[in-house]
Amino acid sequence: MKIFKSQDTAVYSTKTKIVRFFLLLFMIIVAILTLYPVIYVVCGSFKKNAELLTGGTNIFPETWTIDNFIQAWNQADFATYTMNSIFLASGIMLVSLITSSMAGYVFARRKFPGKELIYGLFVAFMFINVGSVSLRPLFELAIKLNLNTSLWSVIFISAGGGQATYIFLVRGYMNSIPKELDEAAKIDGCSFFQTFYMIILPVLKPILATVALLSFRGGWNEYILPLVFTMTNKAKRPLTVGVTMLKNAGDGAAAWNIMFAGATIAIIPILMIYIFTSRYFIKGLTAGAVKG
Amino acid sequence: MKKTNQIITDRPKNLSIWEKLKRAGAKGDFAVFFMLLPSVFMLCVVSIYPFIWVFRYVCYDYNGMTSYYTGAHNFMRMLGDTTFWQSVGHTFEYAALKLVFIVPLSLIMAVLMNQKLKGSGLFRGIYFMPTIISSAVSSMVFAFIFAAYNGILNAILRSLGIIEQNINWLGDKSTAMWTVIIVAIWGGFGNYMIYFMSGLSSVPEDVYESAKIDGANGIQTFFRITLPLLSPMLKVILMLAITGAFKDYESIMVLTQGGPNNRTQVMFLYIYQLIFGSSNLSTPQIGYGTVLSLVAALIVGIVTAVYLFLSRKLDDVV
Repeated sequence: MKIFKSQDTAVYSTKTKIVRFFLLLFMIIVAILTLYPVIYVVCGSFKKNAELLTGGTNIFPETWTIDNFIQAWNQADFATYTMNSIFLASGIMLVSLITSSMAGYVFARRKFPGKELIYGLFVAFMFINVGSVSLRPLFELAIKLNLNTSLWSVIFISAGGGQATYIFLVRGYMNSIPKELDEAAKIDGCSFFQTFYMIILPVLKPILATVALLSFRGGWNEYILPLVFTMTNKAKRPLTVGVTMLKNAGDGAAAWNIMFAGATIAIIPILMIYIFTSRYFIKGLTAGAVKG
Repeated sequence: MKKTNQIITDRPKNLSIWEKLKRAGAKGDFAVFFMLLPSVFMLCVVSIYPFIWVFRYVCYDYNGMTSYYTGAHNFMRMLGDTTFWQSVGHTFEYAALKLVFIVPLSLIMAVLMNQKLKGSGLFRGIYFMPTIISSAVSSMVFAFIFAAYNGILNAILRSLGIIEQNINWLGDKSTAMWTVIIVAIWGGFGNYMIYFMSGLSSVPEDVYESAKIDGANGIQTFFRITLPLLSPMLKVILMLAITGAFKDYESIMVLTQGGPNNRTQVMFLYIYQLIFGSSNLSTPQIGYGTVLSLVAALIVGIVTAVYLFLSRKLDDVV
């Protein structure tokens, strides 16, 4: 598989050099195409609306302006949307961390009647998917319980939908930790929960960081679920819903600058988190999808 | 709570209930129960309850307020619903086109990343980036790029002299599906690249070295060694890709809402519109939507089963 290897000190033939050059070129082109939409929208959000509406080939603005952000923040409710997004993503992260760490630990360490059945159900419902129809009963249930006015219902539904992956992640990680650790704690007089809380939880930190990242990302990017739940409740919309609603609002054509600023506000925070933690993201996703 | 007691295997007979509970408490059975409770509760409410609920309205006409029993009417309607069968066709078209491009692309990128060139960490980070952005928001950005009048793509193509008139990428029946697929490839290839990379990392290094000694070139090595050794992993990744592609509809919802003239309407988007209403369909038709979603789930199940069957056959041949 070694078509080329940069660290080699060997002299390369001209053919190898040409191959290497084209492969690198290909990688750069793909990288530019991948980055392009993000750079385009971030730079575009600093353009004046008139410039956006006339179009043109420039990716950078003629004159830089931050008016779009001020307008989006103050007049177009983006302050509220941002708060809702933060609340939603943090809530989903918190619930996912609590439930998956406890359930993953129990699944890895205890035997109890019905364990296989419950585990099987978790696996089965990762694959059984009736699509958006499942949101209807949950929506009606939330109305009945008067939960449809807060984002907590969205948090629990989203966390519930994603928990299986996280439970498998924690369980897989637990299996790599020697059982002697639990036994030593037990001999020292720890109860089952104390062992979990005081001994295991600190050991689980790396995998919990991954769960936190993945679930935060999931919550930040959640779209159809909050769309349905905030259909008539504008004040509770997260960024994803708020910004796409502008596009469908009809007067969308005139508000390009607000939409650009809104999309940038929705992208930048998660992008920042990604830049600093990309390694954990990638590791976690691989483990969750292929090994889970 | 009664159930958790039964796990004590070495329990003496004829204990009082109180005594049993005390023993269970000491073994941490209550802790187990309460630690598992939140997850199981969420599983029941979020996954199992809606699944059962779906069957409730299969024979009803239900608009969210009132429901009428209509017998087999929903099934008969489905058989004659050209929009639905069209959307099934579009789903297959979308999934096939997406997979044809995304699987080879992500495999190639994974192989290139696996060379561990200088800067490949940066490239990997860039290729993976689209998967962390909300597909709803990135689809909206693409809607700007592909906009007919002031979109930047048309402007670039015009200035290069490739096109003379603006193309209505998302509004024209001949280009809409391709546009949707381009967005899907952009958003997904990094994810599959990472899966392939984790597969490649399990292929031992010395196999490549012996191939090199035997005089195999890069392409031979790929087809004769990498691909066969990767095949168990490839099967899992392909299955994830197939089921994923059949369930996509979030991005299409933002890009085209199924238009123009239902050209990009896929099954799950059509079902969403039936159940929650849309601009061209004001009252929800939930009963009918439940029937279609069961059929859609069945279609995805059959596709998966056929794939598993075929991939096993492939095993016997190779």
